[in-house]
Amino acid sequence: MNADLCHTGPAASLADAVFAELAHALSRLAATGEEMVVDLRSLPFGPTDLAALSERLGTGEVTCTLEVAGRSEVRETGFAGIWWVRHLGDGDEVAGEEVHVTRIPEILSSHPDDVAFAARRIADAVTASPQEGPTAADEEDISRG
Amino acid sequence: MDLLDFARGPAINVAMAVMVFGVLWRLFAILFLGKAPDRTVPRMGTPGPLGAALREIARRMVPHPTFAFAERFSFFNGWVFHVGLAVVVFGFRPHVLFIKNLTGLSWPTLPSGVVYVVGAITLVSLAAALVRRLTNPVQRFISGLDDYFSWVVTILPVITGLVAVGHVGARYETLLAIHILSIAVLLIWLPFGKLFHAFLVFVSRGTTGAFLARRGV
Amino acid sequence: MADQKTLGERLAEHGVSRRAFVKYASWLGSLMALPPATSRAMAAELAKAKRQSVIWLSFQECTGCTEAITRSKGPTLEDLIFDFISLDYHHTLQAVSGEAIEEARHAAMKENKGKYVVIVDGSVPMKDGGIYSTTAGHSNYDTLMETVKDAFAVISVGTCAAFGGIPKANPNPTGAVSIGDLVKDKPVINIPGCPPIPEAMTGTVAYLLSFGKVPELDHLGRPKAFFGENIHDRCYRRPFYERGQFARGFDDEGARNGWCLYEVGCKGPTTYNACATMKWNGGVSFPIQSGHGCLGCSEPDFWDKGGFYVPLSASIGPTAKLVGGAALAGAVAGVAAAAVARHRKSSLNKG
Repeated sequence: MNADLCHTGPAASLADAVFAELAHALSRLAATGEEMVVDLRSLPFGPTDLAALSERLGTGEVTCTLEVAGRSEVRETGFAGIWWVRHLGDGDEVAGEEVHVTRIPEILSSHPDDVAFAARRIADAVTASPQEGPTAADEEDISRG
Repeated sequence: MDLLDFARGPAINVAMAVMVFGVLWRLFAILFLGKAPDRTVPRMGTPGPLGAALREIARRMVPHPTFAFAERFSFFNGWVFHVGLAVVVFGFRPHVLFIKNLTGLSWPTLPSGVVYVVGAITLVSLAAALVRRLTNPVQRFISGLDDYFSWVVTILPVITGLVAVGHVGARYETLLAIHILSIAVLLIWLPFGKLFHAFLVFVSRGTTGAFLARRGV
Repeated sequence: MADQKTLGERLAEHGVSRRAFVKYASWLGSLMALPPATSRAMAAELAKAKRQSVIWLSFQECTGCTEAITRSKGPTLEDLIFDFISLDYHHTLQAVSGEAIEEARHAAMKENKGKYVVIVDGSVPMKDGGIYSTTAGHSNYDTLMETVKDAFAVISVGTCAAFGGIPKANPNPTGAVSIGDLVKDKPVINIPGCPPIPEAMTGTVAYLLSFGKVPELDHLGRPKAFFGENIHDRCYRRPFYERGQFARGFDDEGARNGWCLYEVGCKGPTTYNACATMKWNGGVSFPIQSGHGCLGCSEPDFWDKGGFYVPLSASIGPTAKLVGGAALAGAVAGVAAAAVARHRKSSLNKG
């Protein structure tokens, strides 16, 4: 991310600067597969700047809601490969807001360790007799989910 | 106690005490000296001593026409840094708060941005004054250690003040402490060197005016 | 008590995926201004880390720091830290008491020798053999030295632990000192504030946990990520300072218009903390936004800086008395000098 983004005058131009930066990043992703993240919270963005940037990026086909340590929202923007990621904390306060330039944001894919753990669980479920109820882990899962 | 505490506390307090002591000592010593009774008869049609004093003070605000051209730089530059210093000292809110905290006196001040600009102009003007002092043969000849030292202790608070508001080179608390310490040095020197003209300039010009008027000069 | 499972495994057992680490690390990375690549590494390292044993010692303090750290509310992002650490000893939060609590401390120290983190809030009284604050019959000094002996690192939470704070304020009746004054052979991280910003406390612990090392510190031992910036420089009221618009009191026109609080004693220009950017209670507000100047609570000896309502540019100490005395002395000296000169002159005239 570009340090001099932080001190470029008025609101509109800052959103424009980030937009231009994202354009560069997207062409790099297309050419070399290099990914990038812009942490919007680290920029002196006001609500109007965020709205301006969000509007310029538009809306794509994918919108996801995650329930992980509070809610998170991930949506693809009108430009494939540019994703808007928003983490909500306590009381749905915005805890983090990022724009990812990537084919898929890391938080959406299942982690290999989680996959391995799930594989063990599902294997247990297959071998367990069908009369038995859900496992302890599943119960926890339900109560959290 | 860190450097800023020292500057805001003992350093500036002692400096102010020294300044006030020195100023009153010198002023009283001069004002109560008295002068020998003048037994001459005042020339006819001359103004009284007070009028003559005021007239002389006003007259010396600009150079004598004969020297106006030769003195144009000193005249113009002198006014610039004197007014500049006054604006910076009495027009910047934090400076007035220093005075207000001591005396309770306060007055409207200028936007900080304006003061920064005036401060920068003052700095350039003071630098020009030194260049002039060094390059003009006559001025150089009559300049002594007092002149140069007085220049240094005057320009230092201007430099350190600008550096402090600009956050250049160190943390703000350190820069502020250095600024206050530079003022402490200025205050201590004020009564004992040529900077004492701040208190005597109008006294001496007025006295000269009254004395000369009596003789019809 | 700490166990051998990784944090990833522990959370998975509770039906929480590794995504929680990604989210936590991106949140914390943003707070600490870490590069995105570092945040990603942090997520991976956190998932692999073991639960961190933490021993929390409370000395001369008011429990405000504990209040602050436990007020990150509901079971969400900010709370994950409590899944990452095993708080093995804490007077206020522990259910057990008496001998059992001291046994728990000793057990944690033995089991996690060289690996546990000691968090301290409160200063240590050194006067009169340290009798002014004791637990379980031991002085705070003895408890501290015994506990830090095998610690990996020490975190001084709050201004009392970091710099001595209010117990050390003039005249310091108990001879209070900071933890850094006593612990010299272990890394000591200072998280000052009265109280500190909760995220500064949890973020530092998470950083230690993820990377196994102390974050970059400033000259006062504070993590630069949280204490690197000046309140004044990041204050949303700064434009009023530049325009020369100051509140003169707490209920005048300037105060109502939200102007700069420099004139009513704000210590923002000499205070380093994250209040102006991170704010409090999940970003709701911070003191200046609520209409009061910064007290400078994350700086050493903030209680003894000449008064919370004295402007930063004003002198402190007995200025008026000193200057008044000097004026009198100067006047007397001046008159005396004049008198001597007159006397000499008149005796010369008389011949």
